[in-house]
Amino acid sequence: MSMKAFGPQFLERIYREKVVLSLSSVLGFIFCWYLITDVLGLIPALFLPSPEKVFFTIYEKIFIPVGQSTLFGHVGVSLLRILVGTTIALCLAIPLGILMGWYEDLDSVMTPIIEVLRPIPPIAWIPLAILWFGIGLGSKVFIIGIGVFFPTLINTYMGVKFVDPIMIKAAQTLGAKDKDVLREVILPASVPLIVAGIRIGVGLGMMCLVAAELVAASSGLGFLIMLGGDDLKPELSITGMILIGIMGLLADTLILAVEKKVVYWKTES
Amino acid sequence: MQQDKIFADHVSVAYEKDGESFLAVDDVTLSIQEGEFVVIVGPSGCGKTTFMNTLAGLVKPIKGKVFMDGNKITGPSAERGVVFQQFALFPWKTVFENVEFGLKYRGIPKDERREIVRKYIRMVKLEGFENSFPHELSGGMKQRVAIARVYANMPQVLLMDEPFGALDAQTRTIMQEDLSEMFMMEKRTVVFITHSVDEAIYLGDRVIIMTARPGKFKKIINVTADCLIPNRRNLGYDDVVNLKAFRDLKGELWGLIKAEIMEKRIL
Repeated sequence: MSMKAFGPQFLERIYREKVVLSLSSVLGFIFCWYLITDVLGLIPALFLPSPEKVFFTIYEKIFIPVGQSTLFGHVGVSLLRILVGTTIALCLAIPLGILMGWYEDLDSVMTPIIEVLRPIPPIAWIPLAILWFGIGLGSKVFIIGIGVFFPTLINTYMGVKFVDPIMIKAAQTLGAKDKDVLREVILPASVPLIVAGIRIGVGLGMMCLVAAELVAASSGLGFLIMLGGDDLKPELSITGMILIGIMGLLADTLILAVEKKVVYWKTES
Repeated sequence: MQQDKIFADHVSVAYEKDGESFLAVDDVTLSIQEGEFVVIVGPSGCGKTTFMNTLAGLVKPIKGKVFMDGNKITGPSAERGVVFQQFALFPWKTVFENVEFGLKYRGIPKDERREIVRKYIRMVKLEGFENSFPHELSGGMKQRVAIARVYANMPQVLLMDEPFGALDAQTRTIMQEDLSEMFMMEKRTVVFITHSVDEAIYLGDRVIIMTARPGKFKKIINVTADCLIPNRRNLGYDDVVNLKAFRDLKGELWGLIKAEIMEKRIL
């Protein structure tokens, strides 16, 4: 990195980008937390442990296992569940959404089923998931998959359905046949909505992950959160919560970065 | 007898809105010869666009038939290229890729495609913008891309639906002059829709006045054949609109359209 990058322009840019402001709000939040627990002692440690105790717990559990594995192990297990569940759900939801948006008959056949299944909260599937797939990876993947599936499906369907008809007419009058229109117009035009659907889906998938791990798991971040409650160690629960939050934030950032890459042509407005 | 390029035979077209059916075009008959520039002008909402969509094959008439070279038009075809008022460019494709779009479906090899695309980008004066995306262009430039895209695809008939309607007055004048020039360079059959009387007389060999909805043909004026404004394709827009013949014709046409607007109260 050049020296210039550390010059006043760099600082000015940081300030402009409001990084300073955002960072101070996080630090301020932690400070208030510190104030009401350690300094003023307004809340007993049994209800809300101090921030340094939580940070120490995070540090400690990197080396000392909780249950079967260390903190990284639990993060890894949760990550694996999310990745497998999301991948399977996307592989099913995106093609199905495209086909439903394109073929009206399929739309008529599938829509009533989907409209009944969609409002069922994913966590309502937990008992069946455990019955069908046991308490291992399968049931968690299933629950997460349900969470990711519906928002992605609906958005993909809408994306295909609401492509500006003028664009389709333009393609047809230039000689494009149906399959060309689908590949060259419908698909690219619906990408923004599909990505938005994935974003909502993954957010929901995260919630489903924790729910699934709360109920039946001996590993993962949801398990940590639950264990913290059982053992009266709130710092362990908060550790799990913080890591889930960070994971969600990273997933969202990743999806936004991908979106910027694939929807390069979208106007700013 | 020479066969009509386009022949609309007692065509009526309806459209649906909120479950109700409206008659947009009422029993219209028109024949267009090869190489002719026909302009249809009329008050807004008179069914001109619907009629043009019927010629394109995008809308089916409820009565009557439309023919091209004696063959019934049953659907959209690359032989009838359309320029839309809303440009209808593919925003994820570059200028080059937009212009190239139709050529791929004509089975033209890549090298040849490149030549054709370059030629028409040059014709619409957009050299240097080949790799730009539509959102980086002004409205006038977007419409130039759309015109190049249609020209490059070599349709026999060009259908233009208020192509300059979304542009500002200055851009519009320049686009009109450039289109007139292109028409002389590459003779094609053109059907052009507008609600501007000036634009109609400046561009059209034949100007058709349409009534308010349901659209019928009120009057057809042979601007070129009757030598009403001779030699105008070699003149600039300003020179043409200042001719007495132009002003007289404009007065006559505007009178007809105004009467239509007042009578049917479509203000």
